[in-house]
Amino acid sequence: MQSSMPRPPEWPLRLLRFFIKKEYLEEIEGDMEEIFYDALEQEQSLPKARRVYILESLRLLRPVLMKNMSGFQPVTQYPMFKNYFKTSFRSLMKNPMSSFINVFGLSVAIGICLLVYTFMEYDYSIDQYHKNKNEVYLATFFATNNGATQQYGTTPRPLGELLRQDFGQVEKMCRVEDRNVVLKYEDNVFHERVRYVDPAFLQMFTFPLKWGAASSLSDLNTIILSEAIAIKYFGDENPVGRDMLMIFNDKIKKTFTVGGVAATFPKTRDIDFNFLINFENIRIAEPAYDINDWSQFQNATLIQVENPSDLKAIELKMEKYRVLQNAAQPDWAITSFAFEPLVTLHERAANIKDGIAHDYNVEGRIGMPIIAIFMIVLACFNYINIAIVSAAKRLKEIGVRKVIGASRIKVVVQFLTENIVVTSLALVMGIALCFFIFLPWFVKFTGWDLELRLLNQNLWLFLLALVFFTGIASGIYPAFYISRFDAVRIFKGSLQFGKKNPLTKVFLGVQLVLACITITAGVVFTQNNHFQNSRSWGYNQKDALYIEVPDKHAFDRMHAAMVRNPDIVSASGSTDHLGRTVSTTILHTPANQSYEVNQFSVDAEYIKTMGLQLVEGRVFRKDAESDKQTLIVNETFVKNLNLDKPLGQIFEIDSVKYEVVGVLKDFHTKDFFSKVRPAVLKLATEENYRYLSMRVKEGNGDETYKALQATWTEIYPEIPFQGGYQEDVWSSYFDSVDRSEQFNKVIASIAVLLASLGLYGLVTLNVSGRVKEFSIRKTLGAGIRNIASVILNQYAVLTIVSLIIGAPVSYWFTKAYLDMLFAYPMPIGYSGIVMALVILVLVLLAVLATQIRKVLKLNPVDGLKVD
Amino acid sequence: MKITKLGEFEELVLLTVVALREDAYGVEIKRELEERLGEKLSVGSIQSALKRMEEKGFLKSEFGEATQKRGGKRKRIYTATPYALKVLRELKEIRAGLWKSMPRLAHDLKII
Repeated sequence: MQSSMPRPPEWPLRLLRFFIKKEYLEEIEGDMEEIFYDALEQEQSLPKARRVYILESLRLLRPVLMKNMSGFQPVTQYPMFKNYFKTSFRSLMKNPMSSFINVFGLSVAIGICLLVYTFMEYDYSIDQYHKNKNEVYLATFFATNNGATQQYGTTPRPLGELLRQDFGQVEKMCRVEDRNVVLKYEDNVFHERVRYVDPAFLQMFTFPLKWGAASSLSDLNTIILSEAIAIKYFGDENPVGRDMLMIFNDKIKKTFTVGGVAATFPKTRDIDFNFLINFENIRIAEPAYDINDWSQFQNATLIQVENPSDLKAIELKMEKYRVLQNAAQPDWAITSFAFEPLVTLHERAANIKDGIAHDYNVEGRIGMPIIAIFMIVLACFNYINIAIVSAAKRLKEIGVRKVIGASRIKVVVQFLTENIVVTSLALVMGIALCFFIFLPWFVKFTGWDLELRLLNQNLWLFLLALVFFTGIASGIYPAFYISRFDAVRIFKGSLQFGKKNPLTKVFLGVQLVLACITITAGVVFTQNNHFQNSRSWGYNQKDALYIEVPDKHAFDRMHAAMVRNPDIVSASGSTDHLGRTVSTTILHTPANQSYEVNQFSVDAEYIKTMGLQLVEGRVFRKDAESDKQTLIVNETFVKNLNLDKPLGQIFEIDSVKYEVVGVLKDFHTKDFFSKVRPAVLKLATEENYRYLSMRVKEGNGDETYKALQATWTEIYPEIPFQGGYQEDVWSSYFDSVDRSEQFNKVIASIAVLLASLGLYGLVTLNVSGRVKEFSIRKTLGAGIRNIASVILNQYAVLTIVSLIIGAPVSYWFTKAYLDMLFAYPMPIGYSGIVMALVILVLVLLAVLATQIRKVLKLNPVDGLKVD
Repeated sequence: MKITKLGEFEELVLLTVVALREDAYGVEIKRELEERLGEKLSVGSIQSALKRMEEKGFLKSEFGEATQKRGGKRKRIYTATPYALKVLRELKEIRAGLWKSMPRLAHDLKII
């Protein structure tokens, strides 16, 4: 019967029992139940009675009726905190060594966090200064090739104009084409990259101008320069009104008048320009350029809408353009269109192929925060370990505080306060470290113009959060652990401090594991760098030269001049060139599947000249007309298309049938960050030769290079030389590998330093806590072996266990990190881990040895006098 | 007399306690007052008034009987202390005195 009776809800009762004074509870609980059943008796519904009950319970929470919660005492806390600060400083000064380790460790970690913060802030503010960033969108499309859907940042040529005509919501539209030209001003001639844009470009991207007017872009004969370019050609003077000659190609030249110069670009930019000229000029530069050709793509189309919500309506009506495009270009059939807002364009850039925005920092965005967290955790563990051990020396203080009347919470608050003091001290040092050491170093080697803006509001919020997080994370355990002891037991001296606490050991173990990871990372990154540097390019990049030529005529003249040079073993012409230019094309299998592949149009000598290695079949025959319809493919191609017998297979490109006659060993067309893609080589039409590549006799590279340069200057004094050593085509890649190695090494060294400092502090404290014991041992005749074994034993088991856990964790961690960074990561062997373990054990032994030595030198009498 | 630190609401509760005699426990006081005032009161407000007055020495209390409706929990019966009765009486006299001077005031007001 009892159970069928309606009951008041449970939780308010629990609330009351927690908050209300014990002596009032019985009466109040009774009253509440009576109220509840009264409400029911008055024929109110059960939910209503419950509601009344809950409401009344909450209203009972009044100060008069509530327990006196410690910590909520109305007495002013100020003098107590003053005392905490005082004791904090005193105890810091009393153990200068461990205080230094704590503060230094934390400040290094905070410095690195700040660096990472600055980097992240820089990264997230890229391209965020444009006033219309929320209204400007880049038109992109999705297409499916080789079974995978990819987003592209280019657009069919007619799209921009149609968007502007068809949609009232499109306020402004801007088409973008980038082209290489030669630019001449007085005697200065340079290869340059210009941007053909609609006049709206400068309204959508609100770059302020230093000189001139943005509106001059609507004039077909006007050019707008970036500040750096203006300085390059004109020095510091105002170039507005000056004329520059733009050489599009041999036959077409045009004079432009400088109409404006952009102010210094903000550092946080991705999209920028060197030269802007009106889009219509493309018709002059390329008479064949057909703006209405749906089968062709242009570099970018941007639109600006009044209201971001208008975009939905536009996206819904994109279907008709898709149909038009698919009819014109079935090989690159668009599956759908999408618009990417400028505000998130940089962030998303890694997913958009061929877009005008780039993202070089993907790894950084993942890797840097990991590093920051790692450092903070390492420093916190240092702190925790040292705090627990050094608390042994402060037990009496805690005892006295407790006897005088400090509650446990008070002691916890005291220790946390102390922690915040230490962390704040570390913060000041950390800011200084970051500002004067880390940041300049980082800027120097990455070339990114980061700055620590000390007046930034977000920065201070971040710092505040950092101090509280670090202070509390590192202090909470020691505080609760230390505050637990009974004052009586402390004074009696019967406290077995720290020995029975498994958590202390776990903390030390974690610290060792962290140290293990960092050392492994340092060793493996160094190994990987050598691995990457010595990786085969798939062809012979040594003793090879190349030069870019504008047309066939130039090619012939250069070729004729160079083959006479006795140092040249072979020379060949090509449209594309390894490491410089590669085309992509769509290839159809007999089963009518289509694949996107890299295509190199070369001559018959190219394979020999570049030292590409043939695996199967034959190379192109010289002067054989029939070879015009043959292909040579790479191993990846064979593998990806699952060809058992690649030779003799027929494929179709642009409706022409090609037969595979040879297979080449895989070669890198791009740097090692990207995977080798399926590639085909076919014979180029001579008219399209744009590169002359040469194999030189071993060791004669430099002379031949000079000869090549001289020949070029002789024939074409007006056009700058564009060529080089094949070995240098990826110098920027190897620079970046070097840089990331350097960075990782420095970080790893700092981490190792932190870890060993932590261990040092810990061992020192531990040994000094046992001075009496060692002194007694010594008086009783203990020698070096006894003392050493006592100290070593204490850490032996722990170290072994930590290393057994640490080794696989390190292996996994470094492997994951390398896999993320490199397309062809080094296969990680045991050597890295073994080396790391050896280093770690040596560091540990060195630390222990200093302490053993200290004990041995100690006079037992002094040791016994302690306390 | 000295200032008694007896609030208006406290005075009402105190008077109810006196009026209810042996029935003066939390819920009954609340019921009685609600009826007289014609408005809803919360247990919290009654309880805090009772506790405060007990602290100030206006009330004494002891446990009464337990009923099933109360889940077997005992009532706490409140009684006014002689001091409280004295204060109440004094307050009443002061008020009465003040009321006596009222007609004249009211008259003055009327003139305006």
